[in-house]
Amino acid sequence: KPAKKEYKDTDNITVFHDPENFNVKHPLMHEWTLWFTKPPSGKGDNWNELLKEVVTFDSVEEFWGVYVSLFSEHKNFSTFPLFYLSSALYNSSQIPYTNLALQNNITPTSELAIKSDYHLFKKGVRPEWEDPQNKHGGKWAYQFKEKRTVPIDDLWLHVLLSAIGETLENEGDGEVMGVVVNVRKGFYRLGVWTRTVGKSVPGGGDGDVAGGKGRTQEKGKDVLLGIGRRFRDVLKLRDGEQVEFSGHTDSAHSGSTRAKAKFVA
Amino acid sequence: ETNKPVEPAQPSAALQALRSARPIARLSDITYPSSIISPNPALNATAPEQKFKYQRDFLLQFQTVFTEKPSEDWDNKVKETVGETLDSSRPQSAR
Repeated sequence: KPAKKEYKDTDNITVFHDPENFNVKHPLMHEWTLWFTKPPSGKGDNWNELLKEVVTFDSVEEFWGVYVSLFSEHKNFSTFPLFYLSSALYNSSQIPYTNLALQNNITPTSELAIKSDYHLFKKGVRPEWEDPQNKHGGKWAYQFKEKRTVPIDDLWLHVLLSAIGETLENEGDGEVMGVVVNVRKGFYRLGVWTRTVGKSVPGGGDGDVAGGKGRTQEKGKDVLLGIGRRFRDVLKLRDGEQVEFSGHTDSAHSGSTRAKAKFVA
Repeated sequence: ETNKPVEPAQPSAALQALRSARPIARLSDITYPSSIISPNPALNATAPEQKFKYQRDFLLQFQTVFTEKPSEDWDNKVKETVGETLDSSRPQSAR
């Protein structure tokens, strides 16, 4: 075994320089918590027992430790050829890097049971409409109905990276609360939850912040549309495919998560 | 049964490094190896200390260099929260 390298305390050693002796890590702008919704067993489960907090992290390095090790718990080689095929097609046509999927050999979202969800939310925000920080908000969402061919694992990873990398919104927008993937019988749905629906909210203060009175409705709408456009870029949607925004309470009152879209991008 | 006492596993060198590492204060302090794509300076032109944005191609590079489980009891934690959630109705052979 090679001797441990010696570094000066003042050296900035990243994980790229030395994966076993690095002394600096890449902080995230926010702490994020990963949640998981188990599918109901059909025996009258309580929602609170189905929604579980998995882990909270605040650095890029920790994110990858979670991502790789969580999903490698679920190695299932029997589905590998199918995944490999869709992933290879996707890579060759659209994504400028290769081997990502092959390094892990895993297919997290694509192997989950129907009615499972993953949620990545800012620490302190429960991934529920009823949370005080969500109840005046809404979400951008897109449903992928071609479950057999959509590279959902890559897409979900890219959505995760856009959240922790803070590239879904501009400085000071303050809208993004979290991101979600829902596994359903006929589709996968990816979503970005926002603090508001572009309007001021009770207790939102007077400032030009999400939900504040100092932010005009016009600007509030522009901010949401900007997030919608970035989200659709992450999903690499084609012309004619649109992400849709709806308020959580609209969804709740319609008795369906497919409320009439308020905005599209 | 998951609570029965076990010898705590020794954290790996990588996990120990993570736990003692300090958050980068300024991205300009870091000189990345030449093979590495740096964080996009345009994303961080006005970034306060420790508040950075990272683009996807930068973030993806960590995937092969940091793969440590986040804690010694991680496997149990995953079992308790995510559990056995594989789609059991799926055929076990490739379709």
